[in-house]
Amino acid sequence: MSSELLDNALDLMRRLPPAQIEENLAGLIDLVPDLTEDLLSAVDQPLKIAYDAHAKRDYLLCDYNRDGDSYRSPWSNKYDPPIEDGDGGATPSAGLRAIEVQANEIFDIYRDLYFEGGVSSVYCWDLDEGFAAVVLIKKTQDQSKKGQPMKGTWDSIHVVEVKETKKTGHYKLTSTVMLSIETETEATGSVNLSGSLTRQEEKDFPVNDVNPHTINIGRMVEDMESKLRMTLEQIYFGKTKEVVSTLRNQLGNSELEKRKLLSNQIGSALGGKS
Amino acid sequence: MGDISNEEMVNIANGFLLAAPPGEFMEVVTDVRALLPNESMLNATAHATFREYNTEQMIQVSSPGHKHQVLITKHGEVGENNYIDPKGKQVLVFDHIKQEVTSSRPIAGELEGDLEPVRAAFEQEAQRYADEHYAPNGTVTVYAKKEGGQNVIVVAISSSKFNPHNFWNGRWRALWTISFKPGGQANLQGSLKVNVHYYEDGNVQLNTQTTKNATVPAAADPAAFAREVLKAISKVETTFHQSLDTSYNTMGDTTFKALRRALPITKNKIEWGRIRTYRMGQEIGK
Repeated sequence: MSSELLDNALDLMRRLPPAQIEENLAGLIDLVPDLTEDLLSAVDQPLKIAYDAHAKRDYLLCDYNRDGDSYRSPWSNKYDPPIEDGDGGATPSAGLRAIEVQANEIFDIYRDLYFEGGVSSVYCWDLDEGFAAVVLIKKTQDQSKKGQPMKGTWDSIHVVEVKETKKTGHYKLTSTVMLSIETETEATGSVNLSGSLTRQEEKDFPVNDVNPHTINIGRMVEDMESKLRMTLEQIYFGKTKEVVSTLRNQLGNSELEKRKLLSNQIGSALGGKS
Repeated sequence: MGDISNEEMVNIANGFLLAAPPGEFMEVVTDVRALLPNESMLNATAHATFREYNTEQMIQVSSPGHKHQVLITKHGEVGENNYIDPKGKQVLVFDHIKQEVTSSRPIAGELEGDLEPVRAAFEQEAQRYADEHYAPNGTVTVYAKKEGGQNVIVVAISSSKFNPHNFWNGRWRALWTISFKPGGQANLQGSLKVNVHYYEDGNVQLNTQTTKNATVPAAADPAAFAREVLKAISKVETTFHQSLDTSYNTMGDTTFKALRRALPITKNKIEWGRIRTYRMGQEIGK
């Protein structure tokens, strides 16, 4: 029953305006508080940035580095605010933490190469079989000039499940990229293009010294993110614009008819010549 | 962590309904009904919310017994669930819950007699404009009324395309109010709203809205007056549409590319076996 409700909630989130995603999620949680945990982990939200005073670096917040109301930094492995009681907050085992440190290092380089800025964070956790990791990247861009605001935000959320059998790694990747661009001009008023796309992929890679899990995950994320970037470009700046042009015809139907007639005439004239 | 009141829940639910993308209202209703602790919680406010959504969206319906389509709008509301079809000279009864016309009757005094020659002239020019720029997916409806000592013509245009099979829907709404006193200036106020939703394995939405103003001399001859106004409307809308296309290009060429490169500056994908050398290279460069 609960999973059916979650389906309704997720369907709703796929229809409500992405520009108001945080308010929509808050409203949804108010309606079905029993689904809170499920919703927080299933619904992607724009990533928030926090500052790690120990490591003097920014890191990203998500459900996977949260324990109660505290968040763990991937750089110092410490919780903010610190968790006094119990085990001090969930942290990966020593072996997993080593993988996590490596992953953060290489994705920091990846982020630099593709994003030339922004913030990245990777968090790992154990599964019954194998482990999982989430790779987060956030980049904002403000190109406002001469009174024309032009802002963009990119959020990558890549969740990968890793299982290893006899030197072969089996990787299941679910990637979401949230992209939001807004501008405002005197002529158009406010224009907001926001949303997200999600894709999944499952692959096997050999695992060895040259190709540890982190490198395999890196390759897979790079391929997936590059594909998503292309699709985002097609959908945002191609498809939605195409839909607008079916709603209103800028040129005018008479002009279109004229041009069609002309091109048919040219076509038959050429056909006659050959 | 207190529970919220039923009233607050209904407000949230109705807020969701009113935010439904074009063509997806019933899907949102289904989801929201299932998520409420009690389905019947929406009943008391259902009619009001459905009416608000349908009239705000300016739903297009077929005019019974006629070939044309007409819009369901607040400007055309002549009674509860009664909407005037000035072109077909009839009044439609519209069921907001089912979102369909249930019956119709001939007009009985709902048209503003004095203004009818002007309204008819505007209807003709507006139809010409809509045939040029909004066919085949758009509908135009023209109303006339007297308001606060002014004569008011309302030109409402709503154009929609639904393609749920391919996971997209869209609607363009233009609502122009022309206020004038005979022999004076006519003040034009336009509201333009465009919404597009794409949802295959995701949720992408374009939302844009703006208001525009213009003035046009109110010629005595209704046909000349209508022509001048529609010329002004056409100019404003063409500029808006042009600027929207330009914004698309700027967003795609500048901001998008500045967010994430297609490839690193090396012009090749990462050689993961040597990933750490990229960092070393940068440090040496420093």
